[in-house]
Amino acid sequence: MEPSSPQPDLAMILASSVHDMKNSLGLMGRLLAKHEAVWEGISDEAQSEYSHLLYEVNRMNANLISLLTLYKLGKALYPFDPQPWQPAELCEEVAMQHRVLLSASKVALQIDVPEDLVWHYDTDLIAGVLGQALTNAINYTTDTVRLAAGVTDDELWLAVEDNGRGYPPQMLLDSRHAPRRVDFSSGSTGLGLYFAEHVAQLHRNRERVGSLRLENGGTLGGGRFVITLP
Amino acid sequence: MATINFASHHCLVIDDFQGMRYLMRDMLRECGAVHIEMASNGKEALQRLQERRYDIVLCDYNLGQGKNGQQLLEEAKLRQLIGPASTWIMITAEKSSDWIMGAVEYQPDSYLLKPITADLLLSRLEKIAVRKQAFAEIAQAMSNKQYTRAIALCDERLAYDQVNAAELQRLKGALLLDAGEVEAAQKLYEAVLTKREIAWARTGLGRICYQQGEYEAARDHFQISREQAPGYLEAYDWLARTLQKLGEAEQAEATLSAALKLSPNSPLRQKSLGELALQRGDLDAADAAFRKSIAVGEHSILKSADAYLGLARVCGKSGRSDEALKVLKTAQHQFDDANVTLRAKSAEGMIYTQEKQLSKAGAVADELKQLLLEGGAKPDSAASLEMAELMLATGQRDQAVTLLKDVVRNNHEDNALLGKVQAVFDGANMKAEGSNLVEACRREAVELMNSGVLLARDGKLTEALAAMRGAKEKLPVNARVLFNFAFVAVMYLQQRGADEALIEESREALREANRVSPGEKRFSQLMEALNKLEQR
Repeated sequence: MEPSSPQPDLAMILASSVHDMKNSLGLMGRLLAKHEAVWEGISDEAQSEYSHLLYEVNRMNANLISLLTLYKLGKALYPFDPQPWQPAELCEEVAMQHRVLLSASKVALQIDVPEDLVWHYDTDLIAGVLGQALTNAINYTTDTVRLAAGVTDDELWLAVEDNGRGYPPQMLLDSRHAPRRVDFSSGSTGLGLYFAEHVAQLHRNRERVGSLRLENGGTLGGGRFVITLP
Repeated sequence: MATINFASHHCLVIDDFQGMRYLMRDMLRECGAVHIEMASNGKEALQRLQERRYDIVLCDYNLGQGKNGQQLLEEAKLRQLIGPASTWIMITAEKSSDWIMGAVEYQPDSYLLKPITADLLLSRLEKIAVRKQAFAEIAQAMSNKQYTRAIALCDERLAYDQVNAAELQRLKGALLLDAGEVEAAQKLYEAVLTKREIAWARTGLGRICYQQGEYEAARDHFQISREQAPGYLEAYDWLARTLQKLGEAEQAEATLSAALKLSPNSPLRQKSLGELALQRGDLDAADAAFRKSIAVGEHSILKSADAYLGLARVCGKSGRSDEALKVLKTAQHQFDDANVTLRAKSAEGMIYTQEKQLSKAGAVADELKQLLLEGGAKPDSAASLEMAELMLATGQRDQAVTLLKDVVRNNHEDNALLGKVQAVFDGANMKAEGSNLVEACRREAVELMNSGVLLARDGKLTEALAAMRGAKEKLPVNARVLFNFAFVAVMYLQQRGADEALIEESREALREANRVSPGEKRFSQLMEALNKLEQR
């Protein structure tokens, strides 16, 4: 009999553990959301802690999904599947997934997407990117966030805007001009942006490639996260 | 929020975990559903699905032992336990290449990635209901094989429905090909491709080139599709087929291997890989591929008898006769299909001749003759060829010639098949004689095919119809004859007035012709003519 391999496949162990953690978090998130009503009559401080708890669960969940997807993309196992979808439906579903976090954080959400707009993209990947951006915007905004979409120069753009203080100057980004390596050592935003940029670049139409922008301003005057798909 | 009332809908929840079943049931209740049944595995689910038509099925992809959600969906669709009006939502932790990269007709209506919430489920159910409504008439026309009507309905809707435009165009393209409207299909695909590289449109163009024998152009289209949309596996299958035509067997094999790496659970594709390897004489590779096909097909209605027959051939060629016989026995157990039985028995007989056990081979040949006498169903071409081979090897020449003549008569325009018939004759040292027989039968078929048409042209419609009916009875799977029967019948009906029985007989003939030779213009034209006659 062959002796068992002394070197375990670390990537695979990580991936399956991530999967397991994601399931636990999914359950936690569901339980937290379920007891939403209980938290309504409590002090402001406790409420803000509750919304923070939800935010962290959302963030971890999104990170784990990003990790898993990046792992599968790296191994060429992800069934990348661009299809015609309606951005209006996508934004509506992303909003639903954030309903509890929005209400706990007392943040209003505006959606401004043309109903009959149809575009080609992998809807699960884009939902992941938008969801992550929205979670982030809810955390940094003052009281309002906005999901918007449209077509400019024959490219679809999807934007997540807030009315907070905006991105610090060193984070502003335009991957069309300067695709930059994300700095993981700088802390919390590395993975999300890396994932978003990767997803943007997977989307191609002949020679054109998707891109990512972080700006300040926009309709609400705060941070503006834009993913553009050809 | 609910715009659709789900109270009258019958729902089925399929999940191997009780907790999840209850959770999904509660969510369906929140959506307004009342009639909700549950099943904990594929077997139970099939039982439920046989008992009633469900409007909504929520199915977990992972069902533990036995069938998975995708295999269940395939079986439900193939056995028509669910129709185009039923909604099937796959619940899953992550999306699987099994359906994303599988054939369009076996894809679920939607999938929900866990964790799911009731409002998300409701939103999906409503959207699917709206979409089903938009496509209901087209789906009905398609299932009646009224291609011309379905195409007209697509056009009607395309004029105003921006949201479903892409799907409508995809459907229309496929319908045009089904109806034999090749030029219109080509124009549509080219128009779609001006805006964006779309895999189904590119593959459609490739298919048209393939059909017209332009294999190099076809190859280029399929290769572009593969580069631009690596997840669209249909293009790989066509590319492999095209490469084979171009004599590039190894590249064809590599193409199928690449597709299987992306989506390994296709029994059919694994089987095709085995056949390619066998042709190339790589017995080890063929052995592995056929075994994989059998393994992934264990719980699948798409499992392939050819994989068993192929594996038996590999075993026979590698001197493992006992194993070959065992595989052939299993095949007969696994498939309740007369043709599989005939082919497995023929292969069994050939193993005995190879082993020089001539009395055993003779006994099998006798058994086959008996089956042919008793069995009402006609053997298909593959079964006929394989039986003929055994008959010739066991000295039953007359029986073999009868079988081969039938194959030629019923397929007199299929040169590839006629070549195979000739090869069987060649193998039995009957080259010249075989060649004469093939030619004689071919001519006989041409005469039968034309018999009624010539009479009809002379205005002798009653005689023409009788002649074509005679030809149809002699050559029941010859597409040309069947088309000509319907053609003469339509002339007859137009002049002598509608006759319900003859219209139905003609439709039956056309459906059979379309099964044997799909994608012919005459099918949709004659069907349309019959529909008009009926409305008069």
